[in-house]
Amino acid sequence: MKIVGIVGSNADFSYNRLLLNFIAKQFKTLVDVEVLDIKDIPMFNQSDDQTNSAPIQHFNKKITEADGVIIATPEYNHSVPSALQSVIEWLSFKIHPLDGKPVMIVGASYDVQGSSRSQLHLRQILDAPGVNAVVMPGNEFLLGEVHKAFDEDENLKDPQTTQFLESCIKKFIRFINVVNVLNSPEGMKDVSSTEDLYATGSIDTTIEGIDMSADDWVEQAAKATKAVEGNTYVKLNRGILTVNQLNHFLNSMPAELTYADSNNQFLYYNHKLEAEDMLATRRPGQVGNPLAECHPERAFSSVAWVIQQLRNGKQDVVRTHVPTHGPDKYVVHSYQAIRDEDGNYLGINEYVQDIKPMIDWYLEQTGQQLTGGNVDAVSGATTKVDTVSSATVKG
Amino acid sequence: MKNFIGIVGTNSDSSTNRLLLQFIQKHFTDKADIEICEIKNIPAFNKPTDKKAPIEVQKLADKITQADGVIISTPEYNHSIPATLKSTLEWLSYTSQPLIDKAVMITGASYGRLGSSRSQAHLRQILDAPELKARIMPSSEFLIGFSLQAFDEDGNLTDQKKIEELEERFNDFIQFVEITNQLVNINHSQKEKSQNFSWEGN
Ligand SMILES: Cc1cc2nc3c(=O)[nH]c(=O)nc-3n(C[C@H](O)[C@H](O)[C@H](O)COP(=O)(O)O)c2cc1C
Ligand SMILES: Cc1cc2nc3c(=O)[nH]c(=O)nc-3n(C[C@H](O)[C@H](O)[C@H](O)COP(=O)(O)O)c2cc1C
Repeated sequence: MKIVGIVGSNADFSYNRLLLNFIAKQFKTLVDVEVLDIKDIPMFNQSDDQTNSAPIQHFNKKITEADGVIIATPEYNHSVPSALQSVIEWLSFKIHPLDGKPVMIVGASYDVQGSSRSQLHLRQILDAPGVNAVVMPGNEFLLGEVHKAFDEDENLKDPQTTQFLESCIKKFIRFINVVNVLNSPEGMKDVSSTEDLYATGSIDTTIEGIDMSADDWVEQAAKATKAVEGNTYVKLNRGILTVNQLNHFLNSMPAELTYADSNNQFLYYNHKLEAEDMLATRRPGQVGNPLAECHPERAFSSVAWVIQQLRNGKQDVVRTHVPTHGPDKYVVHSYQAIRDEDGNYLGINEYVQDIKPMIDWYLEQTGQQLTGGNVDAVSGATTKVDTVSSATVKG
Repeated sequence: MKNFIGIVGTNSDSSTNRLLLQFIQKHFTDKADIEICEIKNIPAFNKPTDKKAPIEVQKLADKITQADGVIISTPEYNHSIPATLKSTLEWLSYTSQPLIDKAVMITGASYGRLGSSRSQAHLRQILDAPELKARIMPSSEFLIGFSLQAFDEDGNLTDQKKIEELEERFNDFIQFVEITNQLVNINHSQKEKSQNFSWEGN
């Protein structure tokens, strides 16, 4: 997710710049923040239109392309600094890049009240019809007594403040998704925003306090939950196995299995092969990641669509053929909804199989042949055929 | 006879707020001597570490200090005051702080129907900040909506009711200046305390 961070101060040294740089660095696994300085933007003048100047056009482009904007404002005389206000005037005069854009306000200032009054003014300004930004409500992040807040590495000293900031950023990601849904025209193409692919929320089983992106997420999470392993028995419905037996059993399944929970976090795969030997590559270090980190951004919309089908109960399984394995394999990815006894969506079981050997075996056993000798003769579907049943079989 | 200055709250070449101040200047010649001050040559504030006021800021500060009272006329940009007026106030608060205890009247004109009511509210809050600490005349909002249509070709307000309202406000302001300046003289030490306030010095 691309975010533009605007430093609300044109001073050579600015705590608000430090704050945005810290956000960009600390939360880079959640969001991609580009920090923009306003120093080069001239003072607004209604009778001297400079909208087409390079610095203003640069802002226009960056904001237009971004998914959201974070503005870090100091407080000058109980209000927003003139330098920031001037930028907003340019961006509401002849051009309106902030129109409909999700915006989050943060602020740092000397007073213990930490920019509360300037944040309030900024909200009112951003709400004016020429600006018309969509400002995230609540979640005021105020950094008071800012001259005492950072250590020498320009990190926030207080871990609780960092934690609160993280929760604000996560809420902002969700807020952007909601705003995008509101803004999108009907019959929208990109549905990526319908799912929280960054897993910023949590569910009952979410293991809190561990970096989802860490390579050793499994080890850390096991420690945190005191997870059992080895020859410890686990009671199942219906049976009892040791953890080792369970592992071997799952690894003997004729498919690659992957579990992603309803919070869109990748929790498990039956690891028996190296990544390069798998039909769908998985690496041990990926376990724990939010789904957004398991897929390229261009696939987000399809991933979200599939999850929505399962979550909303429109389908119980969505299948797709992945034709990149050559003619002697027919690899199918099946996204199977995992539900509890009451039908509540718990997540996805993605199982990946080469179904060709099974079809061959079936044909051999029954002495049947596929019409036209080729799968796509009737359905025209070499890439679309996705289940055994849609392959036409001669009776 | 009082000595006032009127600050045009914009850097725009044509301004209905400038027209309003010019009208006030002309209409009340028998009551006050009003000098109109422009802010368009004041550079953008950027918190220089040397805390030195540019010459244009210093000139304005001196005029404020010498005046009995200040009238600020503000447009409304995005429900607030223009950046250029704000920049001027930042300079004043950051350098010699001449507005401390100065009697101030706010007027405003804007193209919209609400005629700068929101920007005037912001301006009050700003002038109330510790490094500005002006004495703002209370409950005295004077605003002109649809300001492009409000003046005739001689720069006179066309609405007679508005003129009467303005006269009332202006008379109030003269009284307010009187009272404020008495009060301020009594509390002289208070003023020095205010002038020593600095956000970053604490
Ligand atoms: C003109 C001026 C006015 C200020 N007014 C306030 C204020 O009203 N409240 C406040 O908390 N700090 C105020 N400060 C102090 C700022 O909080 C401080 O300069 C802070 O470092 C600004 O953020 P920055 O470092 O990102 O520029 C003011 C500073 C200046 C220069
Ligand atoms: C960037 C910008 C934002 C504006 N926002 C508002 C507004 O929020 N409300 C309003 O009544 N007029 C708004 N206006 C129109 C002003 O009222 C108008 O430009 C006029 O200039 C005001 O004063 P002046 O005649 O002294 O320049 C805006 C104008 C600009 C250039």
